[in-house]
Amino acid sequence: MWVSAQVALVITADRRPDGAFGFRMFSESSTIKIVLYREVAGEDGQRKRVHVEGGVWSARDAGGLKRRFAWTDRVRRRELAWFDTEMSTKYGTNAQLARLQAALDDVATHMADDAETRRFLLEVTVRHNGREPYVVHLASAERAGAGS
Amino acid sequence: MQVRDVIAWLQRFKDEIADGYVLGPVRVVLGALLGWQALTAAEELEQLGYFGDTFHVSMLPAALVPSHSLYAVLLALRVVLACMVMFGVWARPALASSALLGFWLLFCDRLQFHHNRYSLFCYALLVSLTPCDRSWRATESDVLEPRTGPFWGVRLAQLQISIVYLASGGSKLLDPDWRGGLVLADRIARHAHLAIAAGVPRKVVDLLGQEGSASALAKLAIMTELLLCAALWIRPTRVVAMWWGVWFHIAIQLTTKVETFTLLTLAMYGVFATPDYHARTLRFDPSRFWGKTAGTLVPLFDWLGRFEVKPWQPDDHPGHSVVVVRRDGGRVTGVRAFAMVARCVPLLFPFWAPLALVASFTRQGDLTTAT
Repeated sequence: MWVSAQVALVITADRRPDGAFGFRMFSESSTIKIVLYREVAGEDGQRKRVHVEGGVWSARDAGGLKRRFAWTDRVRRRELAWFDTEMSTKYGTNAQLARLQAALDDVATHMADDAETRRFLLEVTVRHNGREPYVVHLASAERAGAGS
Repeated sequence: MQVRDVIAWLQRFKDEIADGYVLGPVRVVLGALLGWQALTAAEELEQLGYFGDTFHVSMLPAALVPSHSLYAVLLALRVVLACMVMFGVWARPALASSALLGFWLLFCDRLQFHHNRYSLFCYALLVSLTPCDRSWRATESDVLEPRTGPFWGVRLAQLQISIVYLASGGSKLLDPDWRGGLVLADRIARHAHLAIAAGVPRKVVDLLGQEGSASALAKLAIMTELLLCAALWIRPTRVVAMWWGVWFHIAIQLTTKVETFTLLTLAMYGVFATPDYHARTLRFDPSRFWGKTAGTLVPLFDWLGRFEVKPWQPDDHPGHSVVVVRRDGGRVTGVRAFAMVARCVPLLFPFWAPLALVASFTRQGDLTTAT
């Protein structure tokens, strides 16, 4: 039973973004660079993208008070909270992108006091096994009540 | 092979009873690594805070994720269990509990998943099913009698090692980027400055980073993993495979951050050691320097219990400082005896193959892997 379970986990590792339980050591040599943006309403009512430097931003809460927020208030792991710098993807590009999307959704859900940000966006520059870089855009769900 | 043979083989596998002495040191290393992992998690708890309070990816329903205080208690419990495993106090239940706790906490936060941590818990669980508590116990100085026990758990642990090699080597073989050397070439290029800073000559780094070299290295790595998966099971190739595997893992450790994976895999090679206690004899002449040295050091470092070490009465006849009586009854001296000691003493094992090669050129030397 043990061996069958292990074999099944190894064979199905491709179906999991992080290849967990599949023993796929050093599967890639890819890097990513993460840039965080907030989508807010501009003075003209149009949406605009604001670069979040170092994962820290200020925004007004529902009472109109300016408050400080940080990505690391919710996302503590370094590999998901290191912005504007190229870094290795230990468990591969797919794993990193899946985790970043989940982190983005988590931040969007839990920053209840930020009444300005309508969406969080990540611009992820991926260099897969040393090839030419390409950009992946990730977006959180629309934040209910923000910017209204 | 007919179905009947397969059933007979599995039956043998299930009913096998063997000497468990050799599993003691494996258990001690697993205990140390489990303790290390628990302390690392405790350090993360202190630095990053409780994972459940912030973004985490659980594979379990929220009700099964421990609270902050329970998590802290579980980490402390893991440290205690690891100590029990190391010192041989209720070692097998402690090993199994440690592994199950480790699995549970790994499932609670997928962000903390690492292949080496998962491998450690798999090995710990499988070794807990073996007679690994018969030796290396701090509470009782003598080896327990009988030392024997059912060995099916050992065969499962061996299979697990092969599965790890097969999965790792197989996935690389199927990946054209890995097979072609692109992954290795990029890794070498990106880490070249670190290697040069660590003292590796620039010419060597440049050579390894070339397309052809990276491609050859990639194929060698894949071949190594796939060969190890099978060669560890075949008696005549086992010792060579282990020696090659030791250097393979040392090379990985020196060039990549793999946490405790190298130590874990090398310790687990112990489950492939033939389960016999003191099957060889080392006789030494206590009146000679080399004899006395061997008589003192070999029992200290013979962690797997390969040698019965005995002095002989010195006499006036010229003779040898050390004589090793092999399993097959053959007597070897000089460099051949040293090669045999290197083969059996874990700390000297990395030097076994060159010593055995030198020994093969002596008058009675041969190039087989006779034991």
